[in-house]
Amino acid sequence: MTDTTLDNTVPAARTSPFPLKKAAALGALLLALLAAPIAIGDQFISHIFITIFIFAGLSTAWNIVGGYAGQLSLGHAIFYGIGAYAGVMLMNMGISPWLGMFAGAAVSVVVAVAISYPCFRLRGPFFSLATIAFLEVFRVLALHLREFTGGATGLMIPLKFGWEWMVFRDRTPALLIAFGLLVVALAVAWWIRSHRLGFYLVATRERQSAAQAAGVNTVKVRLIAVSASAALTAFIGTFHAMYLTFIEPAAMFSLTMSIQIAMFALIGGLGTVIGPLVGALFLVPLSELARGWLGAQALGLHGFVYGVVLVLVVLFMPNGLMGILSRYLGNATPQRGTQSASVAATPRAAERPPIGNDILIADHLDKHFAGLHVTNDVSFSLKEGEILGLIGPNGAGKTTVFNMLSGFLKPDSGSVKVRTEDGSWQAPLTPGDFAAIGVGRTFQIVQPFAAMTVEENIMVGAFHRYRDVNDAREAARETAFRMGLGPWLHAEARGLTIGGLKRLEVARVMAMKPRILLLDEVMAGINQTDVRRAIDLMLSIRDSGVSIIAIEHVMQAVMSLSDRVVVLNSGQIIAEGKPQNVVRDPHVIEAYLGKEFTHAQA
Amino acid sequence: MDTFLQVLASGLMLGALFAIVSIGLTLIFGIVKVVNFAHGEFLMIGMYLVYLITAKLGLHPLVTVVAVAPLLFLVGVATQRFIIQPLMSARDDHIQIFATVGLSTALINLALLIFGADIANTPPGGLRMPIQIGPVRVLLGQMIILLASAALVVGLRMFLQRTQTGRAIRAVAQNRAAAQLMGINVNRIYMLTFGIGAACVGFAAAMVAPLYPTSPTIGTYFVLTAFVVVVLGGLGSIGGAFAGAMIIGLIDSFAGFYIGSDLREVAVFGVFLLILILKPSGLFSERLNLSHVSP
Repeated sequence: MTDTTLDNTVPAARTSPFPLKKAAALGALLLALLAAPIAIGDQFISHIFITIFIFAGLSTAWNIVGGYAGQLSLGHAIFYGIGAYAGVMLMNMGISPWLGMFAGAAVSVVVAVAISYPCFRLRGPFFSLATIAFLEVFRVLALHLREFTGGATGLMIPLKFGWEWMVFRDRTPALLIAFGLLVVALAVAWWIRSHRLGFYLVATRERQSAAQAAGVNTVKVRLIAVSASAALTAFIGTFHAMYLTFIEPAAMFSLTMSIQIAMFALIGGLGTVIGPLVGALFLVPLSELARGWLGAQALGLHGFVYGVVLVLVVLFMPNGLMGILSRYLGNATPQRGTQSASVAATPRAAERPPIGNDILIADHLDKHFAGLHVTNDVSFSLKEGEILGLIGPNGAGKTTVFNMLSGFLKPDSGSVKVRTEDGSWQAPLTPGDFAAIGVGRTFQIVQPFAAMTVEENIMVGAFHRYRDVNDAREAARETAFRMGLGPWLHAEARGLTIGGLKRLEVARVMAMKPRILLLDEVMAGINQTDVRRAIDLMLSIRDSGVSIIAIEHVMQAVMSLSDRVVVLNSGQIIAEGKPQNVVRDPHVIEAYLGKEFTHAQA
Repeated sequence: MDTFLQVLASGLMLGALFAIVSIGLTLIFGIVKVVNFAHGEFLMIGMYLVYLITAKLGLHPLVTVVAVAPLLFLVGVATQRFIIQPLMSARDDHIQIFATVGLSTALINLALLIFGADIANTPPGGLRMPIQIGPVRVLLGQMIILLASAALVVGLRMFLQRTQTGRAIRAVAQNRAAAQLMGINVNRIYMLTFGIGAACVGFAAAMVAPLYPTSPTIGTYFVLTAFVVVVLGGLGSIGGAFAGAMIIGLIDSFAGFYIGSDLREVAVFGVFLLILILKPSGLFSERLNLSHVSP
């Protein structure tokens, strides 16, 4: 079972999180882990390995939420406890824990969704605090509902032995089941990490708004992750209850255990597939042995060592053991080189397609921020194949208009309508709707997914069109080369210069192949040569049939690119027309340079 | 009616206890923006110090504040300097949470190592004497906690509003980079704030120790409630923490009496979750800047 799941990895892709060699190494490691205790045949050794498998499994499941999605749950024992109680309670009613497992998982998924959905808007520590609070509530309720849970006295499982009941006199079958559960958890974690879902989760973790703009349904992907994680945790909880033969609220819904689960993942390597396994492999024997050797002599010594190790790991190896391993194995980050290489010269299409009919209409957009009237009755339209420049002095409301044109802000009144490919008109509401209908946007303040490589960043955009990782990767590479980002495909986005990040921003949205492109100051802060190349690039994008609205302060670009210009000042449109005419409009000059200047000129 | 008044009074006294423990936490949370899971353990250290000083030297517990608060100040400064500061620029705040969780685990077990699992009873020094106010009866020590926490709120507010250092602290809380550009030594301010936050706990310990038995895990009992109080009161709002603590104290007391003592925590955490989800800025937030909530 292991081999088939693991050998399916994509060998071609260099940055796939799980290339063939690594998969083979992991397979060998897992088999060795299973073979060792069976070969030794000692009860205590087997117990330690079962504990390793259980905690590695729990931690791997946690990592899907805490690592990939970046939602630092410290209440994961909720799902473990639900699995345990479901298993034991059903077994007392004569139902096999193999079925109880699924009952526990089903309840866990419902609970996980109900808990997480309202908590997703909480960031970092607040999400953690909320999960802790939920955990406490569950623990207290388990204590309180004595008739079901046995309260503080806990529950014993009836002594029925055999595979059917998941309870054995011998350790070996338990070892096999624990191992099987770990493999399932690893397989799910690996599958998620190497498919679209995993990219979406990491993108959401890194930059929620940029992920939304790339068409990611950020709530949905995180709910899927939480559900998968909760179900896996509950499976293991059921099994562990059978292994322990006795459960009680304090041990099942324990904060210490929740922290431990998270800690293994952190020490192993947050967000990596096998980090949690490595962490558990390293720490479980350490703590079991310490408990055995030190515990008797000095109460608390092993806990003290544990805590100190945790602090030291956080301080000196924040990427965990996996970080050290990969450095040791020479998976260093690819050389950066200079980043001044510019946008590749793009051959221009011989002829630009004619400007067509309206494709996007902003209809009487009104927006207030408290007392400030940010946009006041803004109406304009974008025609197919056109470049519309949106200019205006600082604070005119340009970016607010963009946020309304892409679903990030809802107008107080008025609406945005977009013509779909089949010619009908729709009024999308959320960023996801806008992305689905073919509206792509960039952000004025660049929003890279910092921990991802350039290629992966662009892939997040490409996934909008392709479900398959390889297709998305190919599309991303093509886009990267077109945007002059080819040499940095495998560099982490955080290492790019501002010019590189601006290009990455455009590349990501281009990979979505939008029909309408909203560019927010993509030329600000880049040098003259790059501006000229960016202008060429925008023209070639336009010639490929994309309609563009560009906010821009670089007048050179505005004048040479725009077919039409809309001028915004203090939330109102003060001029609209051909660029040459607009810049001579006295209202526009006044808005930019003040009344005195207009008088002086007159 | 008398029962009701007694429950009310107990709630207020409990609220005062939560307040005096939470004020330091809200300072650290609101200004250094670090979730200090080891806060409860600071209290535990303080209580053991009070215990040691009173038991060995025979001093009155309230007197120990002159030694315990400065010692805790140093503990706070050291924590900030050697654990939090190196992580200030860390990629995400997960890392800091784990660091303080690790510190908390280490401190609990260190106490276990030194003092054993048995509880240590600080000599009450007359603070457990009941006093009768009309129909209700409270302990002298509880009254002192109420007065002391009120004094702490007023004192800290004056410090933050009126002094140059206090202004610098508030400036750093609002915009770290801008404060740095104005010539404020941000790292020093963080150390100072963390130190003051910890010193507040030392101050609290001198009053809490005579009433509550000290044990290695006493901190975990308080820390979750303290977080509830801080979020309820609004991050970094000292007055808010005081009011939030009173509300939680009352909820705890009334839920314990009218619903069942084993469900008190459900009521407290239920309220916490509702606030977190429905009004994450807290009930009395002074600022609109909510870095912890997505738009």
